[in-house]
Amino acid sequence: MTATTIAVQEVQSLCRRRVFAAFVGMLVAVTVLAGIIGWSSHNTIVRVYDEAVGLLATEGRAAPPNPFLQVPPLALLSNLAIYLPLIGALMAIIVGHLALADDQSTGIGRLLFSRPMTRFGYLAGKLAGTATVVVAALGASFAVGIAALRIANGYFPTADQVGRLAGFYLLSWLYLMTFVLIGIVAVLLTRRRSLALLGSLGVWLIVTFAMPQFTSGLRPTSSLNPISDPVSTSQRFFQITAQARPLSVSEQYKTASAQILETTSSSLGTGPVLRIVPLLALLGALVVLAGVLINRHDYAEASSDD
Amino acid sequence: MGVPAIEMEGVRHRYDHDREVLRGIDLAIEPGEVFGFLGHNGAGKTTAVNILTTLLAPSAGVARVGGFDVVQQRRSVRGCIGYLPADVRLYGHMTAAENLEFFAKLSGVDGPRAAVAETLAFLDCTDLADRRVGSFSTGMRQRIGIAQSILHRPLVLFLDEPTAGLDPLGVRQLRDTIQRLNRELGMTVFMNTHLLSEVAKVCTTIGVLNHGVVVYKDTVAETIRHFPDEASLEDIYLKMEATT
Repeated sequence: MTATTIAVQEVQSLCRRRVFAAFVGMLVAVTVLAGIIGWSSHNTIVRVYDEAVGLLATEGRAAPPNPFLQVPPLALLSNLAIYLPLIGALMAIIVGHLALADDQSTGIGRLLFSRPMTRFGYLAGKLAGTATVVVAALGASFAVGIAALRIANGYFPTADQVGRLAGFYLLSWLYLMTFVLIGIVAVLLTRRRSLALLGSLGVWLIVTFAMPQFTSGLRPTSSLNPISDPVSTSQRFFQITAQARPLSVSEQYKTASAQILETTSSSLGTGPVLRIVPLLALLGALVVLAGVLINRHDYAEASSDD
Repeated sequence: MGVPAIEMEGVRHRYDHDREVLRGIDLAIEPGEVFGFLGHNGAGKTTAVNILTTLLAPSAGVARVGGFDVVQQRRSVRGCIGYLPADVRLYGHMTAAENLEFFAKLSGVDGPRAAVAETLAFLDCTDLADRRVGSFSTGMRQRIGIAQSILHRPLVLFLDEPTAGLDPLGVRQLRDTIQRLNRELGMTVFMNTHLLSEVAKVCTTIGVLNHGVVVYKDTVAETIRHFPDEASLEDIYLKMEATT
């Protein structure tokens, strides 16, 4: 009951402060952007092919069949696997940060914990509330994605394609919840709001940019493109750090997304289920850490608002 | 005499690596009393309230509220107390009624909506129900703060510096409210305050905390009788502070 009350309040709170609208707006915008870029690039290469076919015809030569028509239909939205870890994760951090920081800095935490409720109930409520907001935002993006596929491909996605897209969004929900928890844990670790937010952003930078670069042999593009085969490196240090590649949740997310959406042509060895194990482990560890920290947190004093 | 509403025996508290804030408090407050807890800034009044409201565990000693131990029976204590911290800010983006309904649900009140309406009517601030708390003045916020603390009709009400930031009218309204809560709902009130003129008008008993120790406790009437040379409670308090 307590957790439900807290969860409902959290959803209401995020909606009232327009954080939810900003989150939904941002995800819908990147979905539309991914759709437009996917559609535009596909149309461009098809046009180039058609022109090439025309040129070959004038020379009396036969053209090979259009290889671009074989591109998987969901490839249209493949850029989402790049945008979500960038923009979606940032929004998720803000959602997690706001969920706890306000109760801490306004002194409402003192009121809450003078009520007959447990701290676990409070945390469970906050997690349920933020999870609902992330689900709703991703749900809106999913609906726009289906619409984009319908418009661009000219037919409604098949059940298999809808299932794959839903699988991708489920994976994305897990990924974004990790960042919600990073925002929450940072608030519980420090009394200063600004420091908590900066700390969360630091972790986001490491997970999204630094780790993929180290674990993929310093390929600068690895943080932006889900390239499957690493460029070989002769440097010993990066050969060692490359061993930690399975632990790079950002890279594993992108690769698993590519596998689920079938947007990669090459065989990637490990399946998507195994690839998300590090993500699940990180998520679980953050939940446990948040549980430990909330029990130790001093709600007798208000924190700094700065 | 039955179980004291509030009991503290040898309560000590030390913040991490800091000096000892409470140095062995012994205190017993009977049901139905309006207790004014006085003391200079940093004397440890808020720490004492934080312990009694289960927000802090004492470093040593035993504290009970309504007969329940504040460490061992935390949940039971929370069920029988109401608390209004100093400078409380409720959810500014929610209306007063929404805030109160939220706290009523957390307190396990049956029929939270009806309890909110009843409490607002009791405090004569039904007109504030549908307004966002973020737009409230300090006085309005304080009234809604009191409403949230009495929604579940607690046995003991803790008020930490409740007059801070209030104008004279707000102070008078607060005084009337405390008296009504005590008289009509039978609540025991524990109030940390600096406003000695209000203590004299509202409280039945006072306690003086000096550097973490209770140096004085008696009824207001007896206190005034014991210090016939002093013109007001303020003079009595200053004399106590000077001699301890």
